[in-house]
Amino acid sequence: MDNKKSQQDLEVSARRDFFKKTAALGVTALAGTSLAASQDDHAIMHHPEWGQKWGDPVTKNRYGIPSAYEHNNTRRNTKLLASGNFRASIAVTPIHESEGIITPNGLFFSRSHGGTAHINPKEYRLMIHGLVEKPIVLTLDQLKRYPSVTRTHFIECPANGGQEWRGPQFNSLQFAKGFMASAEWTGVYIKTILEDLGLKPTAQWMLAEGSDNSEMGRSVPIDKILDDAMIVWGQNGEALRPEQGYPARLLLPGWEGNLCVKWLKRIEFAHEPWYAKEETSKYTALKPSGKAIQHFYANEVNSTVVSPSPEKPWTDLKDGDTVEIEGLAWSGMGTITGVDLSFDGGSNYIEAQIKGIVLPKSWTRWSYIYKYKKGETLLLTSRAMDDAGYIQPTIDEEVSIMGVESVYHRNAVETWEVTADGKVNHVQLRTPGGVKNV
Amino acid sequence: MFKLNTKLIVTASVVTASALFTAGCMDDGATPVITSQVASATSVASIDGGVMYPVVNGKTSAYKVNTQSQGMKINNGRVPTANELAAWDTDVMHGGIGLPEGSGSVEEGEEIYEAQCVMCHGDFGSGGGGYPALSKGNAAQLQKTLTNNRWKDPEADGPTRVFGSYWPVASTMWWYIRDGMPHTKSKTLSNDEVYALAAYMLNINEIEIDGEELDDEYVLNREKFLKIKMPNRDGFEPNIDGVNGLENVRAYYKNPKNFGAKKVKVSERCMTECQKKSAIVTRIKNGGISDFLPPMSVSRDLPQKESYDQGFNTLKSYQDNCMPCHGAEGMGAPVTGDKDGWVEVLAKGLDTVYKNGIDGINGMPAKGGASTSDAEFKLLVDYMIEESK
Repeated sequence: MDNKKSQQDLEVSARRDFFKKTAALGVTALAGTSLAASQDDHAIMHHPEWGQKWGDPVTKNRYGIPSAYEHNNTRRNTKLLASGNFRASIAVTPIHESEGIITPNGLFFSRSHGGTAHINPKEYRLMIHGLVEKPIVLTLDQLKRYPSVTRTHFIECPANGGQEWRGPQFNSLQFAKGFMASAEWTGVYIKTILEDLGLKPTAQWMLAEGSDNSEMGRSVPIDKILDDAMIVWGQNGEALRPEQGYPARLLLPGWEGNLCVKWLKRIEFAHEPWYAKEETSKYTALKPSGKAIQHFYANEVNSTVVSPSPEKPWTDLKDGDTVEIEGLAWSGMGTITGVDLSFDGGSNYIEAQIKGIVLPKSWTRWSYIYKYKKGETLLLTSRAMDDAGYIQPTIDEEVSIMGVESVYHRNAVETWEVTADGKVNHVQLRTPGGVKNV
Repeated sequence: MFKLNTKLIVTASVVTASALFTAGCMDDGATPVITSQVASATSVASIDGGVMYPVVNGKTSAYKVNTQSQGMKINNGRVPTANELAAWDTDVMHGGIGLPEGSGSVEEGEEIYEAQCVMCHGDFGSGGGGYPALSKGNAAQLQKTLTNNRWKDPEADGPTRVFGSYWPVASTMWWYIRDGMPHTKSKTLSNDEVYALAAYMLNINEIEIDGEELDDEYVLNREKFLKIKMPNRDGFEPNIDGVNGLENVRAYYKNPKNFGAKKVKVSERCMTECQKKSAIVTRIKNGGISDFLPPMSVSRDLPQKESYDQGFNTLKSYQDNCMPCHGAEGMGAPVTGDKDGWVEVLAKGLDTVYKNGIDGINGMPAKGGASTSDAEFKLLVDYMIEESK
């Protein structure tokens, strides 16, 4: 950054000098615009190897891979979030390196309950039965023959940020907020399939079951099925990755990633819910009353500052530099309508600006252009709102209702501390011991 | 141009269910039609407390919709056979639907547990290797810990959420053991074996049936299983059971206070002094968690040779695949470094040891779950033998 900046400055001054001096002294003065040879940038002054030798033939990497220099832009794990041999486990998305509102398929966070299953598409079958007039079995080709829709949605694990109910633990954006990713999904609305199957009036719940070794299953209320529930096979223009449930998964836009059952094998309609393992033993949010919320569906409105972040500090900024504070906002309950930014940890806010395409239940980019003062300390806090009327609570507000043991669905505002030397630390603004009845 | 049509065309055109749908989503009288400040979205309340975007004038939110398929019956696929339905429709519901006949004793359950489960779930279900604990003691007593909150002292006792103390119904356990366990070769247990393991689960969690403790000789069957009353059966909200289940869910998420959310009019949101005066900067304690794999870096240098996944890294593969069970006692596997233990194992002959490892033995999955070639796997065995001399 420093280097790039000084290069731009030099260019500008050189050009200014050129016009001044050519006007006054003529072409011979050109030599006077040159800077000392010691300031020459080696990257400009020599022919790089890639500019003189043959590059790769087009036959190499027929399915392209990122530049080798980008190898640190990768999913990561931690032992804390792994059962045993990294099978019932999670690998999280490097959102500090993410651009726009789409996550590349290879970086999409990966979570499973029995490892990534590898399904032979020729042996893939989807059975839909229960309280329908006509049960069916579909092959993959038959499934893909339905009229398709393509939608951009994030998928978020409801435990995103769930390790930090009692205080910050990860000095990392990737681990603090990277249990999510966003993609353009292609598939069929389940309601389209049901036109033919005929849902019986007594059908109130749907079971979605995976064909992986854990047979991951969840009960889904009929409301969602008749709204925007999809069975998807396409992800960012190609087939789903195995980690995302190849060849087909359930997509319930905005709802817990766990509900979006991968390697989808069976759909059954019934009048009662199922009490599947992942809707009681886990994915339930325990409150101080001792009661736990079950069937906690939508990921609530949320946001984070992406740049700067612990991984992307401001240590290279000079006094007076203009810098874009950039972030993501998302809501599983609707569409982002605005994001506020605070420089004092969420006491006082100003409005940031939304950038780019704004879609329901999708990542939304926002930013604020800022003039950096060297040596200042900041507490950067973002706060998003959605069109369902929700706003992110303070930590005190959320904890006063949910306590600190609920693991799931934490969406209170989060804070990055920018230190005097431009480093960024994850901190939280909260009342020690919690506040009751805010 | 987008023209707002006041008559909402609800996309759910499945006739038989549309009445239910309409009642559930619009029963608050004044259906909120919110025009977002950034998107011309028309939305209505949904079951989750959020909004949904019905198709209006061929559009849902920003997306155009091909409306031709609405109401169209597309006849894909075929009707499954009775056998196919029976083969896949094997879920077990609360109340007994899907729960087959069978029986097994606590004692038989313990034998199966020791052979196939202990290596991950530890002695008496105490947990280990990152896998969940199945019991922490008396279920009814531990259920009382669910009100514990570590507000101030992170070292204080938190709530204990294991099968006995937390799960609302027992059918979940039976179903998951049968279809998801053992983790490395699921769907290999007979119904009788599942009943035996279920009996053992109840035993170690000290859950009684009809006032009777499950001692070693206790034989569990379908009839007795359906009488199980879990200590935390009333511990969850909203109530999803019965004909009012969905209505309860819809009502629950209408009140943000129920689930820790916050609603406010945009114009009335707090812009100054929004934090409590008592809120202070709280920092990561004790260095936090940073054992990231691979280590965190945003450098754009070429990767170091050894970090390429080319070539086989025996130590790393051992750590990822073998150590969870062979790295510590109590998991039932011969421990790396246990000289006597490995002498006993090697008495079978090295080829047999290789073969058992490659095929899997007792609770050990094929190759311990490692995605290696046979030759690479043998390097892992060699490593453990070498470390145990």
